[in-house]
Amino acid sequence: MGVTALAAEALALGLSSGPVCLASCAPVLLPVMAAGRPSPRGAGAVLGQFLAGRLAGYLVFASIVWALGTSLRLDAQSRAWAPGGADLAIAVLLASYGMAMRARPLEKACPAGWARRAAPRYRAFASAFLGFASGLTLCPPFVAAGVRAAEAPGLGRSLFFFFCFFLGTAAWFAPSVSVALLRRFEPVAIVARLVLFVLAGYYGYLGIILLGRTYFHA
Amino acid sequence: MPDHSMAAPRRSVRRSLLLTLPVLLWALLVLSRIMTERGNAPKLAGLTTAIFMTALFYGMMRTYETHRWRRRFFVALGFLFPIGFVWDLIALRGSMSIPVERMISGDTPFCFLAIPMMILPAVTTGAVIFPGSILPTASNPHAIGAMVALWLAATLVMGKGWCSYGCFFGGIEEGFAAAPKKARMRKIDPRWRWMPWAVLAAIVLLTAAMLEPAYCIWLCPFKTVTEYPQVRSLETAIQAGIFLTLFLGLVVVVPLLSKKRAQCSFLCPFGAFQSIFNKTGAFEVRIDRAKCQPCVLCEKACPTFSMGPESLASGKTRLSCMKCGACVDACPRHAVVWHIKGTEVGAAPERARLLHLYSAWAFAVMFGGSIIANTLTKLLGFVG
Ligand code: SF4
Repeated sequence: MGVTALAAEALALGLSSGPVCLASCAPVLLPVMAAGRPSPRGAGAVLGQFLAGRLAGYLVFASIVWALGTSLRLDAQSRAWAPGGADLAIAVLLASYGMAMRARPLEKACPAGWARRAAPRYRAFASAFLGFASGLTLCPPFVAAGVRAAEAPGLGRSLFFFFCFFLGTAAWFAPSVSVALLRRFEPVAIVARLVLFVLAGYYGYLGIILLGRTYFHA
Repeated sequence: MPDHSMAAPRRSVRRSLLLTLPVLLWALLVLSRIMTERGNAPKLAGLTTAIFMTALFYGMMRTYETHRWRRRFFVALGFLFPIGFVWDLIALRGSMSIPVERMISGDTPFCFLAIPMMILPAVTTGAVIFPGSILPTASNPHAIGAMVALWLAATLVMGKGWCSYGCFFGGIEEGFAAAPKKARMRKIDPRWRWMPWAVLAAIVLLTAAMLEPAYCIWLCPFKTVTEYPQVRSLETAIQAGIFLTLFLGLVVVVPLLSKKRAQCSFLCPFGAFQSIFNKTGAFEVRIDRAKCQPCVLCEKACPTFSMGPESLASGKTRLSCMKCGACVDACPRHAVVWHIKGTEVGAAPERARLLHLYSAWAFAVMFGGSIIANTLTKLLGFVG
């Protein structure tokens, strides 16, 4: 199959499964975006970071699988470790983002110097980390793309397939920038921060259960 | 109109009776369905309920007060609903717990708390994510379609008044909140009132992502007194633990300590969703700033933190106001008033209250009254 045909197929797959990708990532992306009450530009930057992180997650996962010399093993049990770990990571990242956001007015009062220094830096890049972890949760469209990419001849082509697939899905994420319209409502930041903690609890639980299942079934 | 200089104004008995007459007729009409069933128990239950609802309305008319009379109905509804519900479950299935396979096959009675979660998946994928049946069936008479239609009709008229006149769960915590004379827990950070919005946002996002009713599966405290998934695994045991903890904490303990409806104020995503419809409803509670001398008694009386300093400054309650009337009744200067949108604030507050009450009570009799009468029928049939 030629490169153009491969790209077209991956793009089509990405575009058709984009809504599912958006629904899977929205619980992580939207509260992070809303918590900072960004301008449309700021929201675009958060989205860009998130997508870049997500792409990196995709590619790293695909590369690891290739480097291990296997194609993607896609039975539910053997792939549970990756989303389980990713869910746990998402939980930690969401909760720390919530705390880092809360820390802003309290920075002066914070006794731990490193925390004061780390909080703004973490706030700036949290969406990239979260995007990376989301890329590893192996949502159904990603698995579908994985199956197809695994058939591509060679790692390069496989990664290329993932990249084009990613571009197709990314188009669906653009409207999420409209979260910036909510910034004129002051309570949005408070609500979004609380959402971060609620979701951290949910993803933490999900991660523990998935990892537990994998461990006990291994 | 009440004479504000008097401590406890009273409407004349004749006028109060006259104003109550339509409610009596409505109650008899609505509950006749139960009263005409075979046996003495339904007749007695229907009649008792009709008299109960009418007597409470008479109390509202005679005393110009709303909250304490409404609360009696609401608490009765809150405590009788689970009894009747569990009674039916035991009769149908022999247990309060439901196995997951029966849940998936749509044997779960529909609950209005799931409505906000259903919208996004229904719009984007056409899927109804609640595992109940759209139309009533023999094994599941509480179907989705009927409940959604009822909720919509009531909501368009009452807005968040649903939470004061319709929600059969709210009555439980209102009962616990009413029990102590004084609040022991006085300092609750009012910023927690944003929590229901956070839970709403979280469950809407999670439901769209997972295509399953996240709140029902993970957070609903009322599973404790209705129907819960059968505990067969660690996962279902954790779920049951969460339900029980939330119920005991937010529906029993915190209301007992704070005299606030804690679950409604700090968790219920449906309540947050319902708040949006306060924008569309015709009736509201306003503060006549010319009369208000900020004694903050209304703020203290409000069971849901819907009255804050900014309300007194702006003359408007917070969006979460559920039109219970506690603040109106608590204000010694009659500065907190019922109001019809588009009219002058304080011009005809009693007329606004009457119009609100006729619509709210008509719904209360039809919906809550039927639930009360049905449960009483079961209880009377059991003892007699
Ligand atoms: S503001 Fe008044 S009417 Fe509204 S919920 Fe609070 S006490 Fe009830």
